[in-house]
Amino acid sequence: MMRDEYLSVFIDETKEAIQNMNDILLKLEQDMEDMEAINELFRILHTLKGMAGTMEFNTMMTLCHRMENLLDEIRNGRMKLTEDIIDRLFKGADILEQMLNSIEEGESDELEEVDVDSLIKEFEGFLEGKSVGSPKAEEKKEETKEEAEEEKEEGEETSIPIEITDELVHVIKEAKEKGYESYYVRVTLDEGTQLKAARMYLVFHKIEDLGGEILRTVPPVEDIEDEKFDLDVDLVVIAKQSAEELSGAIGSVTDVARVVVRPFDPEKELEKRKKKEEEKKKEEEKKEEAKKPEAHIHHKDDKKKRKITQTVRVDIEKLDTLMNLMGELVIARSRIVETLKKYSIKEVDESLAQLSRITLDLQNIVMKIRMVPIAYVFNRFPRMVRDLAKQMNKEVDFIIKGEDTELDRTFVEEIGDPLLHLLRNAIDHGIESKEERIAKGKPPKGTIILSARHEGNNVVIEIVDDGRGIDRDKVIKKAVERGLIDEARAMMLPDDKVFELIFLPGFSTKDEVTEISGRGVGMDVVKNVVESLNGSVSIESQKDKGTKVTIRLPLTLAIIQALLVKVKDFVYAIPIATIDSTLKITKEDIQVVQDQEVVVIRQEVVPIIKLWEALGIPHDEEFQSMNVVIIKMGNRKYGIVVDTLIGQDDIVIKSLGKLFSDVKEFSGGAVLGDGSIALILDVANLMM
Amino acid sequence: MEIGEKEAVQEFEVLSFVVGDQEMAFDVDYVEIVIDVADITPVPKSKPMIKGIINLRGRIVPIIDLADVLGSYVDESQYESIVVIKYNDIEAGFMVGTVKGVLRASTNELESISSLERYGEKSRGLIKKGNRLVVYLDVTKIIDEIAGEE
Repeated sequence: MMRDEYLSVFIDETKEAIQNMNDILLKLEQDMEDMEAINELFRILHTLKGMAGTMEFNTMMTLCHRMENLLDEIRNGRMKLTEDIIDRLFKGADILEQMLNSIEEGESDELEEVDVDSLIKEFEGFLEGKSVGSPKAEEKKEETKEEAEEEKEEGEETSIPIEITDELVHVIKEAKEKGYESYYVRVTLDEGTQLKAARMYLVFHKIEDLGGEILRTVPPVEDIEDEKFDLDVDLVVIAKQSAEELSGAIGSVTDVARVVVRPFDPEKELEKRKKKEEEKKKEEEKKEEAKKPEAHIHHKDDKKKRKITQTVRVDIEKLDTLMNLMGELVIARSRIVETLKKYSIKEVDESLAQLSRITLDLQNIVMKIRMVPIAYVFNRFPRMVRDLAKQMNKEVDFIIKGEDTELDRTFVEEIGDPLLHLLRNAIDHGIESKEERIAKGKPPKGTIILSARHEGNNVVIEIVDDGRGIDRDKVIKKAVERGLIDEARAMMLPDDKVFELIFLPGFSTKDEVTEISGRGVGMDVVKNVVESLNGSVSIESQKDKGTKVTIRLPLTLAIIQALLVKVKDFVYAIPIATIDSTLKITKEDIQVVQDQEVVVIRQEVVPIIKLWEALGIPHDEEFQSMNVVIIKMGNRKYGIVVDTLIGQDDIVIKSLGKLFSDVKEFSGGAVLGDGSIALILDVANLMM
Repeated sequence: MEIGEKEAVQEFEVLSFVVGDQEMAFDVDYVEIVIDVADITPVPKSKPMIKGIINLRGRIVPIIDLADVLGSYVDESQYESIVVIKYNDIEAGFMVGTVKGVLRASTNELESISSLERYGEKSRGLIKKGNRLVVYLDVTKIIDEIAGEE
């Protein structure tokens, strides 16, 4: 069925429309006089109504229609936008979203648990309170006026863009004998109509329902199905109805802007054509010229709007396959390089170098394809923060920075919930009530800043609030209560270690559980998600100054540059991003400070670990000189002692799977050029 | 488990192999491929029954010492093959001795005996086929047990 074909388009478009609605409503909340925003909202709802109508989601259409009417009153100055109305519009947007979700799940737009009717009634109530005359009637009046004008225009202009063949003449003659009238029909769709083919399908359907028959279409039916037409479609129709009846029926289809129906006599038409051929040409040219600029402006407008979301939708699976193939290619290249090392052939070297370059470029592009702006996640937060703040009776200025920052698609999907949780915490636990803030001499409105930026090979996401901060003593008290730590030890800990306690499973500082932040998902979930993405999370907080939560994520998951090192017979990989430098030391360089082996590098004391000891690999020989890889973590350095350094290589990270979920020392494995496997060291965990 | 007479007799296929001196079998539905013992890269700090990982056509597959899982000991030199299974998105290879081949059995040849108690849930019973006695192992339970162990 036709409908299914358009369903996915409908869902995507509607999602976008609802997102836009929310954005505009937020804007309107700041400035209720923003006419442009009201107009935009009206347009969105109008389009949405049309789309829902075409897809036969009638409840959705009705809801859109009511909201649209209300906005029409407002934009015509007959009503004033109030906070109450904005709240209802927000609610409307929510219900639309719920309907969409339900539709997406293969159900209808009827929501059982939500009382759509009462909301629709509320909108009607708003209208009745202030409505002057039915807006619908007025709309109709306007339409008919336009129609009349158009008809007049068309009447004067005799050009009917239909090729008249003998066959057509014959068929129409026969039809006339059977009592059918023949008509020329021009259907013009609304500017910006989505699913044009579907609309035309409905038009055809309507005509056929009336017992009419479509003899000819311009453009041909195939082109209409492929949406290869602008806004106008010309038809030759035979029907028993009058022109008015026909026009009325077609006009009732959603998104049809204009319908012109005129009696059509092919023979007369042919005569006329001959006569006026010359004139017509001139006239048409003139008309074209006159029309152009206007049409142009519309198009420009359209384009501007569309550019924001100009994307190609690609099946996620295809993207993942591409990434996997890319990984295989990198491995295959390494393997060729490895093999050819044995024979030094000059000619091959050159093409091999080129292959390497191409692979690298390809790799970068594939990586970039997977990158999406973090705005995809951030977008939904303003609305959510607004709602939560309202619910908590707190006033919050929510600022988003760096939403253009790009990161791997996988991260975007995963990071949403943790961020949501952190924002909830900031509003619920962080920002104080207005009175409390005033008493503290702070501005009455709290501020939450959500920002993202690139930093080296990382994406850094920060959530900063200027609330009450984390109470060190409360955290300790709770942690002791829960048996997570003993009091004596806790008192000794520096602030940042105390705040880390919050990330332990089963921790919640708020004394009473609120609806918002006490849902059983704690900060430990945030930490888990971030760490599963090879990232880290940290908290800084100052009493009464505020809290800053920083999340660091690597740019991408799949392919990294690594230094390959060897211990005994096995190769391990250390991500280059974590490496500061490498150096050779002798046994005498190692000193022991507080039971910890250290070396002094440029007056800096660097603790070292021997990789074989850290991994529990039997290792008898002690070399006189040893290779040390210096790792930089934050502002601290550590040294890892290995047997030999092999070299740098691109490696494809592969998960070790569930059976190794208890092994924290490795973040994965990589297949090397010779087919052997290198385990990738998880440096952060290794140092713990 | 007593198999009642009324219960329909069902046929099933297993892949049988030798571990130590005992013939054992996995349900063929879970078996993906049988390969020769390859170079195994050990994973330090992992569970003792996991011998390491191998590169199976670009995929990293953990290798498990089956005898260790079943609480016995077989010298590694006796292992000839690796039976790779897939269950619940987990791919894993089990080190075994000689692989004998696919065996067709029916539920009335399957019997639970008390001597198998040492295998607990890891065994679904004993297949009696002529004078062959084959321990019918439950791959799913074995994998669940290893994955669940912390």
